[in-house]
Amino acid sequence: MENNIDRALANKAGIQLMTHVVAGYPDLDVNADLIRLMASRGVKLIEIQIPFTDPLADGPTIMRANQAALDQGVTPRHCFELCAALSKELPDVAFMFMTYANIPFALGLETFMAKASQSGASGLILPDLSWDESDGDYAGAAREHGLHPIMVISPDTGGPRLDAILSRASGLLYTTLKVGITGAGAGIDQAGVEYVRNLKKKTALPIAAGFGISSPDHVRMLDGLADVAVIGSHIINLMDAQGLGAVDEFLAACART
Amino acid sequence: MSRISDMLPRHFGPYGGRYVPEMLVPALEELEQGYLKYKDDPEFTAELTDLYQNYCGRPTPLYFAENLTRELGGCKIYLKLEGLAHTGAHKINNALGQALLAKRLGKTKVIAETGAGQHGLASATVAARFGLECKVFMGEVDVRRQYPNVYAMKLLGAEVIPVTDGTKTLKDAVNATLKYWIQNLKDTHYILGSALGPFPYPVMVRDFQSVIGREARTQILEREGRLPNHLVACVGGGSNSIGLFHPFLQDAGIRFHGAEAGGRGPAVGDNAARFGGKPKVGIAQGYKSYFLQDESGQLQDTHSVSAGLDYAGVGPELAWLHDQSVIEFAPITDVQALDAFKRLTRLEGIIPALESSHAVARAIELAPTLPKDEIMIVNISGRGDKDIFITAMELDRENWIAFLENEVRHGK
Repeated sequence: MENNIDRALANKAGIQLMTHVVAGYPDLDVNADLIRLMASRGVKLIEIQIPFTDPLADGPTIMRANQAALDQGVTPRHCFELCAALSKELPDVAFMFMTYANIPFALGLETFMAKASQSGASGLILPDLSWDESDGDYAGAAREHGLHPIMVISPDTGGPRLDAILSRASGLLYTTLKVGITGAGAGIDQAGVEYVRNLKKKTALPIAAGFGISSPDHVRMLDGLADVAVIGSHIINLMDAQGLGAVDEFLAACART
Repeated sequence: MSRISDMLPRHFGPYGGRYVPEMLVPALEELEQGYLKYKDDPEFTAELTDLYQNYCGRPTPLYFAENLTRELGGCKIYLKLEGLAHTGAHKINNALGQALLAKRLGKTKVIAETGAGQHGLASATVAARFGLECKVFMGEVDVRRQYPNVYAMKLLGAEVIPVTDGTKTLKDAVNATLKYWIQNLKDTHYILGSALGPFPYPVMVRDFQSVIGREARTQILEREGRLPNHLVACVGGGSNSIGLFHPFLQDAGIRFHGAEAGGRGPAVGDNAARFGGKPKVGIAQGYKSYFLQDESGQLQDTHSVSAGLDYAGVGPELAWLHDQSVIEFAPITDVQALDAFKRLTRLEGIIPALESSHAVARAIELAPTLPKDEIMIVNISGRGDKDIFITAMELDRENWIAFLENEVRHGK
């Protein structure tokens, strides 16, 4: 199978960026502008977060964005529509839906995957839908719909559990650089760097590393180590404080790494 | 799957499980293995039993409510007085068990979430007793309405952290505590306060709370020579109810009654009755169960006059027992709970917690319809001291406001 995630990571030169938007924050039109801007700066991998009332893995920035989007009445349908419009407009970008288990569960896992696929997405990230739950081994079903099930691990994931996850993952493997929640940090944890280094020896899958990446220097540090640097909270903080222009400058600086 | 995992129930039917970010898994596995190692360890159980008896004040009395029985004119009503346990509620049973376990696991810090404040108070208490550093996360709304417990927690040395996210109540306090835990796994144990959350909490909390039902069973056999016909308990997350019910689940002929928060009525956001209307299964806060949610899967706002019942989810074992029609759930409105609060106080000289008042209200509904020779046990899960700022405002508003104004005016 080849989808946009595979295409984005094939024959790549240097580290790729994976960015994140919370659908509906600050509103769907700004989401579209932001995604266009990201694409114009060469970002090929974009997560669209479907907001949830109880986002367990997210820090304060993304949690607030989730709540603000929900307060505006954003539903999964709006998120599918956003993805459908942008994936037509930007056929080279690999879109992934990121959300929490209750959103696909409420819609029906199969229906959710079908809708995600029809809207042009290439992958799913469900950090609280564990592969070892009775209904959580959704990886095969996702692939049947042309979606990569993106597994999220952390530097504490090891041993047989890591092997089991690796056997189910496809597309790319998303590891956090620290054991914690999302949020821009001051620096990159050396233990996280070591973990990624060891992970490279265990799997041929491209590795995306995230949590705490907030400067072009962080991206530079990961170049040659991970395949993808994931930037989430920092972009929301930049956009909130200084607007889209600041995001543009930041992405341009990262692209020069 | 490890051999160890198979020995504790991870699921109750389709419910329960461990729906958490991968980074929480090692901590939950450590806890699972620790609990499995110590739960039947003679030294551990002896220490816990000693604490229950000599620190907590167990066994709590099983009291025949003669006046209430006479007034209602139906079955005989016994009250299991968990409010007489140290710190005034059943929450201490679980907090003691988990604190002992945390010590065995080498943790130096504990964190807890709290709604009404009773679990926070119990956690702060055991932390003081065992020399553990303690942080308690509490929704901003609950901090406001349960200040006596906030004050007590601070007095005990705990840091109380108001949670300003979402609905600013128990659900959000659970999220905040889980997130703090994710960032501080190495030295911190999360004393989760109800029989819910990711495995192994539902089974572990149930086991620690089952002391209520085991005692009630022994006590009723001594008093009546037979088992009860009805067990009644309020159900927020559900720890006091599963604690009372569980030791009786294998017995035939017992009816189990769960009183949920009917709040202001059946409209969305006005109650916390998960089984009222059309119950919806969902996945949140680390487990699968029934949750109050909209069609998109967003958890809904809840309301109850009782902070401890104001919660969108319910423990997974209770969900499974609901599906098998073992437990009969009924919503109790705020008005009914306040009325029951007054009646029990006047009739028996027992001031129940507002949570427990829901169970009393359900008993008031049921008892007159039942034969006189039947026996009912109602779990008075806590006492009502903590609710004074709510009940006084509801029942004695003018005098209470005058008192508060006077305190502020003349206080230094």
